[in-house]
Amino acid sequence: MIRTLEMRNIVKRFPGVLANDHANLTLRAGEIHALLGENGAGKSTLMQILYGFHSMDAGEILLDGRRVHLNSPKDAIALGIGMVYQEFMLLRPFSVVENTVLGLREGPGPLLDLSKASAKLKELSDRHGLALDPAAKVENLPIGVQQRVEIVKLLYRDARLLILDEPTAVLTPQEKDRLFSVLRALPADGRTVIIVTHKLAEVMDIADLVTVMRDGKVMATRSIHETSPQELTQLMVGRDVNLRIVKTSQAPGDSVLQLPVLQIKDLHVAGEDDREKLAGVSLDIHAGEILGIAGVDGNGQSELAEAVMHLRDIRSGRVLLNGADITNRSVARHRALGISYVPADRRHVGSVTEMSVADNAILGLQQKFSSGVFRNIRHARESAQNLVSRFAVRPAGIDAPAGKLSGGNLQKLILGREIIRASAALIVEQPTRGLDISAVEAVWQELLRARQEGKAILLISTELEELLNLADRVAVMFAGRVVGIVDAANASVEEIGRMMAGLPAAASIPSHPPGAISGTQRAEIV
Amino acid sequence: MPKLFERRLAPADSPLAILARTFAALIAAMLVTAFLFRSYGANPWQAYFALFHEPFATLRGFGYTLVRASPLALVALGTVVSWRSGFAYLGFEGSFIVGAVVSSWLALSTAPRAAFGPMPFLLFLPLAILLGFFAGGIWAGMVGILRARWGGNEVLISLMSNYVAIFLLQYLVSGPMRAPGSNPETPLLPRATWLPFILPGTRAHAGILIALIAAALVWMLLQKMPLGYELIVTGFNPFAARYAGIDVRRRTILAAFFAGGLGALAGVVEVLGSQHRLMEGISGGVGFLGIVVALLARMNPIAIIPTALLYGGMSVGADAMQRRANIPSSVTLILESLAVLFLLAVDLLRYYRFRPSSLWRQPPETITHGVPE
Amino acid sequence: MSAGHLLSAAFLVTWLSASLRLAGPVLLAALGETFAEQSGVLNIGIEGTILLGALASFLGSYYTGSIWLSVLIAVIAGIAANVLLAWMYVTVRASQVVAGLVFNILALGVASAIYRKALENPAVPESIPMFQPLHFPLLSRIPWIGPVLFGQTILFYLTIALVLAAQFILFRTNFGLALRAAGENPAAADSAGVSVTRMRYAGTLISGGAAGMAGAYLVLAQIGLFRESVVSGQGFIALGIVIFGRWNPLKAALAAFVFGACDALQLSLQIFGPKVPPQLLLALPYIVTILAISGLFGGKAVQPAALLTPYEKD
Repeated sequence: MIRTLEMRNIVKRFPGVLANDHANLTLRAGEIHALLGENGAGKSTLMQILYGFHSMDAGEILLDGRRVHLNSPKDAIALGIGMVYQEFMLLRPFSVVENTVLGLREGPGPLLDLSKASAKLKELSDRHGLALDPAAKVENLPIGVQQRVEIVKLLYRDARLLILDEPTAVLTPQEKDRLFSVLRALPADGRTVIIVTHKLAEVMDIADLVTVMRDGKVMATRSIHETSPQELTQLMVGRDVNLRIVKTSQAPGDSVLQLPVLQIKDLHVAGEDDREKLAGVSLDIHAGEILGIAGVDGNGQSELAEAVMHLRDIRSGRVLLNGADITNRSVARHRALGISYVPADRRHVGSVTEMSVADNAILGLQQKFSSGVFRNIRHARESAQNLVSRFAVRPAGIDAPAGKLSGGNLQKLILGREIIRASAALIVEQPTRGLDISAVEAVWQELLRARQEGKAILLISTELEELLNLADRVAVMFAGRVVGIVDAANASVEEIGRMMAGLPAAASIPSHPPGAISGTQRAEIV
Repeated sequence: MPKLFERRLAPADSPLAILARTFAALIAAMLVTAFLFRSYGANPWQAYFALFHEPFATLRGFGYTLVRASPLALVALGTVVSWRSGFAYLGFEGSFIVGAVVSSWLALSTAPRAAFGPMPFLLFLPLAILLGFFAGGIWAGMVGILRARWGGNEVLISLMSNYVAIFLLQYLVSGPMRAPGSNPETPLLPRATWLPFILPGTRAHAGILIALIAAALVWMLLQKMPLGYELIVTGFNPFAARYAGIDVRRRTILAAFFAGGLGALAGVVEVLGSQHRLMEGISGGVGFLGIVVALLARMNPIAIIPTALLYGGMSVGADAMQRRANIPSSVTLILESLAVLFLLAVDLLRYYRFRPSSLWRQPPETITHGVPE
Repeated sequence: MSAGHLLSAAFLVTWLSASLRLAGPVLLAALGETFAEQSGVLNIGIEGTILLGALASFLGSYYTGSIWLSVLIAVIAGIAANVLLAWMYVTVRASQVVAGLVFNILALGVASAIYRKALENPAVPESIPMFQPLHFPLLSRIPWIGPVLFGQTILFYLTIALVLAAQFILFRTNFGLALRAAGENPAAADSAGVSVTRMRYAGTLISGGAAGMAGAYLVLAQIGLFRESVVSGQGFIALGIVIFGRWNPLKAALAAFVFGACDALQLSLQIFGPKVPPQLLLALPYIVTILAISGLFGGKAVQPAALLTPYEKD
């Protein structure tokens, strides 16, 4: 039984990063403790050290005053520590009960007694309101239920300390509410819950205590009753955020009356499991306009971007560029005709990390930088040099592997590559996910500049703040459909939040707009 | 606690570090093999002398070295093209045989009173090269299609296809193409179809020139052509390739085609330059050893040439060693494969810094420069 | 040849009986390989391991004079050789295709060098005593089925028992679950307290032991002598059978019998049929395996998700 757990002066280095810099954290039984910080602040690393997944370079961990050594998750589990990762650690083709007993010794000797385990699992599931079927295969379960499988795994091991890393990132507001009601009941039987998050509103909603991290350091620990969102934001980012940037207004009429640059008509797309991912999406994007797409992750936004580029098979519907049907043209043809695309996954899709910055600067343009059957390498290098200096990619050497660039600089490289070419339309997906504030600002400025230059921009983002700052109009997607389009200038966060949750955009405004909370809070602070 | 090996945060990947590791691997392999020599009762120095003297220090031997190196280099080049395109082709024994078969068939067809009758060598050679390249390309291209269209596993399919080719060859030389006589083999190819010998007094033939030209072409493809860029992107990251508008399936099939074509050229060169007839077992493991050469050359088309000479030379020297020191020539297989295994193993060292000084000195303080409480 | 000949009882009995006999070694190797692949390791090195096992059993038979001890020696040799492979796959995290492929060349060199050395001793015989087919009273005399099912060597029945054991271990024990987890999602297995390293070493070593035993099977129940060419791709066939059998021991057994039937057809046709070029029939099992794993037929095989992927957590 854990009463107190202390992490003292934890230091952890990764290549090029000091992930934890003498971090301290104290936890007591029966509390819900939030670990708050921006992306890259070192929260996840600290928790993975506590769970024995990473070794620490210096520091110590004390359990009820005794020093403990956590060399592997096995050690942590034995001490009653359990963790739910942001990326679920589930075996998708396996059943719920198989996932639960993995790594345990259940049954006589080496044998696997699933029926006994199922009964125990069922009992736990009922007691905590998890509603799980032990025999169901994980890959057939919705995300919210998969998360409850992760929680039951911990309860089955009788974990006293439950760590949840960004547990709400992939949940709908309803699923989030359900998760929180499960979590709120846990401290009652002496368990401790740690929620790692960058969403202030969730901290205020559920936590008893909050510890704020920044740049690998622990800034402060506060009781939730003695702090305010303003103070926490200060601690989190270190300065007052002022990201609201000047956006020139578009004169209505000069573009709206023209033919839209990019037209998406009644697009239907099936996912890998043959279920419909897009169920009839229609959108028009005009020159010099940013159309934002809001929505909880996984409601068809990525599929929309990929379908427009024809990276994904289209069941029915059409995509028009400047009035010409390009629906079934190849990806290369799409690019040649003038659509650029900045994908969400910059390291695995948007770039080839093993290749040099110079080679990445021509990715997708390789046929343009050639004369005859040979590459025009000199021309390509000049262009890369130009790109690097115009978009302030650091370090500026173009022969280093692109994988060595930080996330922000890699994103500037990709965004620059896609903007700099003479394209009419630009699709941008999650352009600032995981970037630090200065990189966010740079990316936003570039997007606005591209808008100024008259490109038609489709901006897909889960960050409402980003959409409200950049977009002219915001379309909200839910379950593969556009459930509403609002004018960004006089949109209400509450209304967008309701639509993101799949609720009809009604007049009654709830006190806590589901799903849109981080945006709300940030917007208030600005 | 002093540590002899200190863990690095980032791997050491400078050209010098790579070269140092390669040599460390070679030397480690030679050390282990030296102990093997001892177990055969031979003096390692003499054995190594026998292994390297004949192939590299005698004219006759060097001629044989060139003969052995040519097909090795061609297979290795095929490996470079396909593996760097993300297509792990292992069917070079098969492509080799396909190339050997079609060039033998073409050569026999130019015999007097045969299908085509005599043709000038300057017409015959390009024809043989093209025919071999395309036949091998199609042979391997089929594996590429199975992978690209139906998701078949190219590693296993290409391994298996080797045996199909081996049995096909056995059938041909014991049936339709068999020369009258006892051995299952074809008649001697017409002299006019032989590759010219290039070093007087040796068996060295023009095959090495074909290998050199192929190396230059492969280097040009990969470094200087947009097609090569697309192949490399496909190999590193098929998702990024698709995103960049590259037709990943077609590039995969093309990579397979090139690999099979180059592998078949190895067979063409072996038949027209060295064996001058088609027989069972003609590939003699070159299809696998060529892959080893490419690995040791770290998939660099230029580095393949010296590496192929080294391995070709060792196989020549192995025979000399067997004669003189009574050591089975198969010991060189051990040496050759150990070199690559050690090369893989020393990659572990990329993450470590060797600190002999730690044995007599305290390690420097690396961690704490923050505020100790 | 008329269809009547092909369907004659004598032909069928000979053919089916040979099918089972020839399926044995590849089935054994495939069983072990199933463990390796379920743990996330594609062990191409079983081809070379079978060769080492064959040599070990041959020499073991000469030096110990015991047929059972030579099986044991082959298994131990297979496991020992695969310690090197497991180290390359798991600890060094080398490319599994490369390490396995190069290991096969190494194994060929080692087997050949040792065999040549052994031949210098004139006492080493050309051939060695073999397992004889068992004769079950009554059962062997059942028409048709008797000679096919009950005229095999003890190694065959042992292999069948191992199929059942493998099925049980993979799907009904904690070890099996942990092993499959390591191959499906090593990070998840790790976070649940399963040592991925240990599981993958176990998978590789099991495949090594099974491949060693497959080599003994070839020598002690099929050929009775050693040649550098005894294996000739049967290890690769076993890899195909694992895919064909969808990483399931029972299905692998079926796939192995299909392979054995193709292989045996060539023998039987030579006895019963007119001249069909035997080489083309010899190629048949390889062509069948290629088609079976090509993805042309049936849905795509769902392999362990982390197969071929070295696991590195930092």
